[in-house]
Amino acid sequence: MKLFTNSSNIFPLLPSIVAFTCLIVSCSKEPIRETPVIPDPTDSTPVATTYEHGVFVVNEGNFNWGNASVTFIDNSGNNAIQDIYKKANDRSLGDVAQSMTVIGTKGYIVVNNSNRVEVVNLKDFKSVKSIDGFSSPRYFEAVDANKAYVTNLQHNISIINLTTNVVSGVIKTTSWTESLIHYKDYMYVTSVGSFSEPNSNRRAQIYVISTKEDRIIDSIQTGKEPLGMVIDKKEKLWVLCTGGYDNFEAPSLVRINPELKMIEKAYVFPAGQGVPSKLCINPTGDTLYFLNGGVFQMPVTSAGLPSQPFISSNGRLFYGLAIHPKNGTIYVSDAIDYVQNGRVLKYSATIGSKLAEYQAGRIPGSFSFTDSGKK
Amino acid sequence: MRKLHSYISLVGMFLLYCGSPLSIQSQSLIDTLHLAEFEVKSNYVLDNQGFKRVKLDSVTLLPHLNADLSTILTEYSTIFIKSYGNATLSTPSFRGTTAQHTQVEWNGINLNSPMLGQIDLSQVQVAQFDKIEILYGAAGLALTSGAFGGVINLVTVPDWNNRLNVMASQTIGSFDNYVTNLFVVTGSRKFQSHTKFNYLSGLNDFPYTDYQGNVVYQPNASFKQYGFTQEVFWQWKDHHMISAKVWYGRSNRNLPSIVEVYNPDYHEKQEDNTLRAVLEYKYVQRGYNLMVHSSLSDQFMHYSSPIVDARHQVYTWTNRARFTYNRIKKLTMKPGLDFSYDWAISEDYSGLKTRATTSFYAEIIYEISPAVKSSLIVREELIDGKFMPVLGTLGVEYRPFRKENFALTANALRNYRFPTLNELYWKISGNPDLDPESDLGGEIGSTYNRTTTNRNFFFEVTMSGYTTWIRNMIVWIPVKDNSSIWRPENVSQVFARGIEAGLNIRWEISGFHLGFKNNYSWCRSTYEKTTAENDRKLGKQLIYTPVNTFNSMVSIERWKFYLRYNFMFIGDRFTSPNNLSYMPAYNLSNIILGKSINLNNICLNLQVEVKNLFDLNYQSIASRPMPGINYAFTLKISFNRESKL
Repeated sequence: MKLFTNSSNIFPLLPSIVAFTCLIVSCSKEPIRETPVIPDPTDSTPVATTYEHGVFVVNEGNFNWGNASVTFIDNSGNNAIQDIYKKANDRSLGDVAQSMTVIGTKGYIVVNNSNRVEVVNLKDFKSVKSIDGFSSPRYFEAVDANKAYVTNLQHNISIINLTTNVVSGVIKTTSWTESLIHYKDYMYVTSVGSFSEPNSNRRAQIYVISTKEDRIIDSIQTGKEPLGMVIDKKEKLWVLCTGGYDNFEAPSLVRINPELKMIEKAYVFPAGQGVPSKLCINPTGDTLYFLNGGVFQMPVTSAGLPSQPFISSNGRLFYGLAIHPKNGTIYVSDAIDYVQNGRVLKYSATIGSKLAEYQAGRIPGSFSFTDSGKK
Repeated sequence: MRKLHSYISLVGMFLLYCGSPLSIQSQSLIDTLHLAEFEVKSNYVLDNQGFKRVKLDSVTLLPHLNADLSTILTEYSTIFIKSYGNATLSTPSFRGTTAQHTQVEWNGINLNSPMLGQIDLSQVQVAQFDKIEILYGAAGLALTSGAFGGVINLVTVPDWNNRLNVMASQTIGSFDNYVTNLFVVTGSRKFQSHTKFNYLSGLNDFPYTDYQGNVVYQPNASFKQYGFTQEVFWQWKDHHMISAKVWYGRSNRNLPSIVEVYNPDYHEKQEDNTLRAVLEYKYVQRGYNLMVHSSLSDQFMHYSSPIVDARHQVYTWTNRARFTYNRIKKLTMKPGLDFSYDWAISEDYSGLKTRATTSFYAEIIYEISPAVKSSLIVREELIDGKFMPVLGTLGVEYRPFRKENFALTANALRNYRFPTLNELYWKISGNPDLDPESDLGGEIGSTYNRTTTNRNFFFEVTMSGYTTWIRNMIVWIPVKDNSSIWRPENVSQVFARGIEAGLNIRWEISGFHLGFKNNYSWCRSTYEKTTAENDRKLGKQLIYTPVNTFNSMVSIERWKFYLRYNFMFIGDRFTSPNNLSYMPAYNLSNIILGKSINLNNICLNLQVEVKNLFDLNYQSIASRPMPGINYAFTLKISFNRESKL
């Protein structure tokens, strides 16, 4: 049965079909990829010719969004350049940039969920090599000019040959290893315990690794989740333990004698008053800094934990903290809501007054300085 | 093994419910014979008492039997689909709200997971239903609460004229993707039975170009999925109708990582087993009728990766009763009662979590004058013994011209969404003190359709504008002073407003059947509350919410050939709440060309599809590649016998 009659012809419809087809074919050939809004109204517009002198802000980016980036603030302090890796290499840095370590003229960016370490030349930030073969890498620390260690969320500590930039071996562990610090012929590495276990079953400790033998030779038990580590001017090792992401126990700050491999003193934070993080030390090695809402300052000789912040957060979400290794300036990042682009704030070491504020990328989590005190 | 046991007991219950399994399927779904004779039928429901309802009929769905629900909604509605790739997670959102504000129902069973509050459309195949009804905004309150965006209602309907209809179809697509569909639909004027089976599998290793310009093949994206459905419809002594439906689905899939993850050993996968069973009884008398319906839903999900292994099991028992009374002139009253019970067993909850929801419902439709009709819906929910705020909507429809199909509509709404089980009970992070999200909305619209006197030209237009204010919106935010824990809090406010327009033309001319369907949406949905000092999202567009969406379909049919062209435009989507980065807009085009050959009662149909016709290199969600140009060939054989009327 026909609902319609054949009364006219098709031709009156043709112009609209043609117009419609034109509309469709006019699509662009550029790949559809995430794009920054240009001009970024909050971004200064400098042209840096080199990245050899300044501060790198490592923006983690959102897990599984592939939007990790590095922001560069040059030593003049006037300019912040966003996403310098993408600008130099025409590709995204990856997913979740955990940390960056400067060694000589090269930067080693640990990209956790991409499972890579991106090696760049500091001069132009061009990629030199992408090192593969990790198990969710976290932090990078050089042993000497030829060798470095990389901690992983799972399975092992990776050994990197710095000449060839490949994973040359592993030090087997069964746990999530986090920060590393080089002391004499040893590497001290914090170990949280097995990633997939609850905190009650996780064994928290510091591994003592012989850098000559690439072997764990000793361990020191600590509070749950030892994440941060520094060495002070008297060569004491300080370890900040969060107590567990689930507030399993009260957080603690412990002082360890690295020679005797023994805890000398433990400062326990009052329970239920926040979780301290991001332990740092000033260039002279006499003052500790950490985040616990605001920025806290504590002389290494202090008998107790500080009760008031040195810099209060004033409603900001302080997420990353670093102390300039030469001048002691305090760098703090504000992750805002973890989704929008964060900010970096710079404060004076002496009185904690705000010196500058910069735009950063998504979840600015850590910093790296070209003017490293070491090399 | 616990699973198997639960299935056996559910199947047992079903058999107790309905005795022998025999049932029905609408012929239109499976019979390509009728494709050429397209019906003049409006998409935009005219007599709507002030609420916007849009129908997608089986004729529209027919060439898409091998597709999933996300494809249909992208091509024929302005609902935005967040697609994480071919055949992987796809979630719907409309009118500037989120996936949790969109409810999907299949024959009266809510498909949204009570744990997540949303649904993955890639797991719902078009072959599972005959018709889609999209209830925008306030219209959704007739079915459920919490659907601030609206409800997508999927239904199967019996065709009492059918005697036997058997259909088998096989699709072979690019990237080793295959779809098999088998239908047996048989019955009498009193009884119809539907038996449906579908099987999908795919390597899904489509090529895409990475940042360096290298061609990479999508790894870890293969899937297998099958579904089995049995439906029975029985009319008894003219006044009684009983139907029973069971749908069992099983899916195993690898979940591809984003392009920036370079770990060949990192395999994520997900297994979903679902069983849905519903029994419905209707008693129809002059002046009143009664509907009661009871359903069981069993959803099991197993996600695993090298570092996470999680199993979740949810059972939901839902009961719905509606009484309709229209013996009083100009007045229809529909009181109702809903009761549902959720059981969730998850390693991520501490112990079994349950929720009991009782909902008192009343709908009153009153004809103020022959031109003005109004409808009032009131719903009061009692959740775990606690009374929630009263919800309601009032709609008015005005038809100023007696002889013209023109209607002006308006409605106002108060709605709320109760938190999901994850939001309440997730280990460590869950927040049992959450308040429900609330929504105040309003909408105006107009619909007009006209058929020419010789009936060879039909067109309809619709236009609507809406606003919606969501308060107490739940967002997962880091816990103060412990940023490693995120907890859902009632911290956000969103104001969404927009305009939707539709144009639908059908024309028969020189033996050609032409169709032209268009949908356009403009939507501004903005953050109205900041949560932190440096927060710069106030007044900015919600992430992954396009301002402009447009789609168009042109179809031509002649000599049992059919050609269908689908065009979609998805506008810019911001990826950061402060709107500093975005995914650029894109156009997509798909083409379907088919031919049916009839030999007595047998119909042979061959169909060729070209998707992403202009080979656009695009991503819908950042870092999730989508396939370039790809093809699918479908061969379908059906046998059809109808009663001689």
